[in-house]
Amino acid sequence: MGTATRTDAVPVWRRRRARIYDREAPLGYLLLAPTLVVLGIFLLYPFLFGIWLSITDSELGKLGEFIGLGNYRFEWRNTDGVFYTAVVNTFLYTGVTTVFKLGLGLVMALLLNQVIPFRRFVRAALLLPYIIPTVLSYEAWRWMFDPTFSVVNWLLVHTHLAAYPGPNWLGVPANAMAALMIVNIWRGTPFYAISFLAGMQVIPVDLYEAARVDGATRWQQLTNITLPMLRPVLLVVLLLSTILTFADFQGPFVLTNGAPYNSTQLLSIWAYQWGIPGGAIGLGAAISLVLFPLLTIVVAGVLFLLRRPE
Amino acid sequence: MTHRKKRAKSGWSRRDFLRTAGVAAAAIAFPEIIISCGPQSGGTPTAAIPKPRKGASIRLLQWTSFVKPADAEFKRQAAEWGTANGVTVAIETVTGDQLQPKTAAAVEANSGPDIIQMQYGWPQLYADACLDVTNEVNILISKLGKPDPVNEAFCKVNGTWRAIPYTVVPNAWTYRTDYFQQAGVTSFPKTWDELAAAAAKLKTTGKPMSQTDGHAYGDSLTMWNPVLWGFGGKEVNADGKTVAINSKETRDAIRWAQGAVKAGLVVHPEWLDPDNNQAYHADRISGTLNGASIYIREKIEFHKYTDVTNNAPMPSGPKGTFAMNLIFNHAVMKWSPDADTAKAMLLALMEKDQYQKWTMIASGYNAGPFEALHGDPVFKTDPKLTAFEDVVAPGKWPGWPAMPSKKTAQAQTQYIVADMFAKALANGGTGDMEAAIKGAETSLKAIFERP
Repeated sequence: MGTATRTDAVPVWRRRRARIYDREAPLGYLLLAPTLVVLGIFLLYPFLFGIWLSITDSELGKLGEFIGLGNYRFEWRNTDGVFYTAVVNTFLYTGVTTVFKLGLGLVMALLLNQVIPFRRFVRAALLLPYIIPTVLSYEAWRWMFDPTFSVVNWLLVHTHLAAYPGPNWLGVPANAMAALMIVNIWRGTPFYAISFLAGMQVIPVDLYEAARVDGATRWQQLTNITLPMLRPVLLVVLLLSTILTFADFQGPFVLTNGAPYNSTQLLSIWAYQWGIPGGAIGLGAAISLVLFPLLTIVVAGVLFLLRRPE
Repeated sequence: MTHRKKRAKSGWSRRDFLRTAGVAAAAIAFPEIIISCGPQSGGTPTAAIPKPRKGASIRLLQWTSFVKPADAEFKRQAAEWGTANGVTVAIETVTGDQLQPKTAAAVEANSGPDIIQMQYGWPQLYADACLDVTNEVNILISKLGKPDPVNEAFCKVNGTWRAIPYTVVPNAWTYRTDYFQQAGVTSFPKTWDELAAAAAKLKTTGKPMSQTDGHAYGDSLTMWNPVLWGFGGKEVNADGKTVAINSKETRDAIRWAQGAVKAGLVVHPEWLDPDNNQAYHADRISGTLNGASIYIREKIEFHKYTDVTNNAPMPSGPKGTFAMNLIFNHAVMKWSPDADTAKAMLLALMEKDQYQKWTMIASGYNAGPFEALHGDPVFKTDPKLTAFEDVVAPGKWPGWPAMPSKKTAQAQTQYIVADMFAKALANGGTGDMEAAIKGAETSLKAIFERP
């Protein structure tokens, strides 16, 4: 009787709320809601707005009219004569730097996973390129590649690896592209290394001990234990890095801004040139979105590999 | 009706009295109103001086000058005016290449500084975000005379002034007299052909004449556009629609440039605007085209090569003498809650006395954009500065002879002319000229033929 009286005393709204809390699905959505709102505001809205801009003739500060795929046609027909250079450069830049970052990052992680003196200090120092403000580090690289004051050339000349005055790093198309890649690899490798190192730390030591007992060589341990166990981390890092490198702007903008004569033009800078200084924000949005379908395929492929059963 | 009857009876209503008394008081206090209404003023008959609002806050965004004391003086004058009028003034300065992204962000967000410095053709690009300042420009015209044609071309969009002319940063050649003498060049070249010959001689000193042909938003444009014009070339016809880069005149200009590079002029596609300054101060080059900042900093800061540095105006081509200078103007933005206060401040800063105090401290880096500001005393303080005064008159704008427009601004920001020269000047001046012209033509057509 007493229990019945207490239940009657609980207001209806509180009972309903208690029921929601008891059911998994509504509670799950309720807890997800704040994140979804934040993602909606900061990711979904800008993305959809970008798509909308790309199918209009919008200019800075003025929303334009719907023009369908006009902006995309403009670029796919290479009307400005620069678009395909930017596409090829973007693929080259992303492909080459990703391969190097992957390889160097793995080597670095393997070394850091060993017991070495000052291990913690070295691990912390590894993150330096990532910690330094981007523009500052790129300005430093710009100085290092400067034909007049280049410390790189000074070293090359004084070690007799190059004749005076040394290579013109940013003034010759092939060199300039190589310089962009070097700086991207320098900045991106620590991200790979630290991520791989974190992945290696959770691989059970027992596996290596068992392998050693079975007489496995270091190479066999790497290919049969480390790499397979590292696969999920490796794929996620590869995915993130590919997307970020595709959209890289700061480094190439500070170092060459597309010069010499658009030979280092990337899609990100070309989109900026049209959209911001040129004011044609609709066209700029189309250029930045033009590779979206292709990137989606890459992302889907990596996600598929991630979900594949062992 | 009753009111009309009363007026008819007395002929002088209370409102009429107040209006007349107000106009009379204003005329005594601000005679320029009357002047600006006069037939010789060129101003509109309704020109009214904007009044600052006590308690208002004004933010002004502009570039960081290469001559630091000039910024300090500008801020001092603005603060002084703010104190006198009870207005809080904040002057924000950013580097030249950061100014446009910040401006674009403000325009897109419809919010930001009350006043933004507009460089080159930005008033054309952001016309909708810039308030009509025709009234204020007319007031200035009544006091200072005609504005410079280049400032007018940039500021006036479809007959409406969208920015107030502010300044010209003249670009002239700065060179080392000792190296010139050593090479046997007795005076600075007067023509482009003479410049190529001088570059050949200076090459022997190990200190070449050098210039950027890269994506430097100042020095690259101020060099290669005048070269193109000097040989009769142009990007587009005066109609602003017909692309005209593929011409015999353009080929002449490129042929000259290739010859000059083969002779000894060193071009740097990797240089940005500060790089030729640094190379000069580091004694690596004997001459370069720049604003007066190289000479001024030598004079007031480094003191290493002041005595052996001189300046010279632009050489002439077969079609005449052309120059391109950096042009800055101030726009009052449409989102400003205190637009009248912002306009009043800009007018005060353009007062001749104030302005010439500022130009004096800028030491010749800036020139005034109105008739009455020509012949600035600063250029008389040092005979070496006259070259910078001389290049103001032959100054043109990117895209000339077409009037500035969104399209000329796009062509400028894509460095199409500079890239054309850079491509043709690659590998020591042996680049493919026809491919360079074809590339420029394609890019220009994409802009000017785009609906």
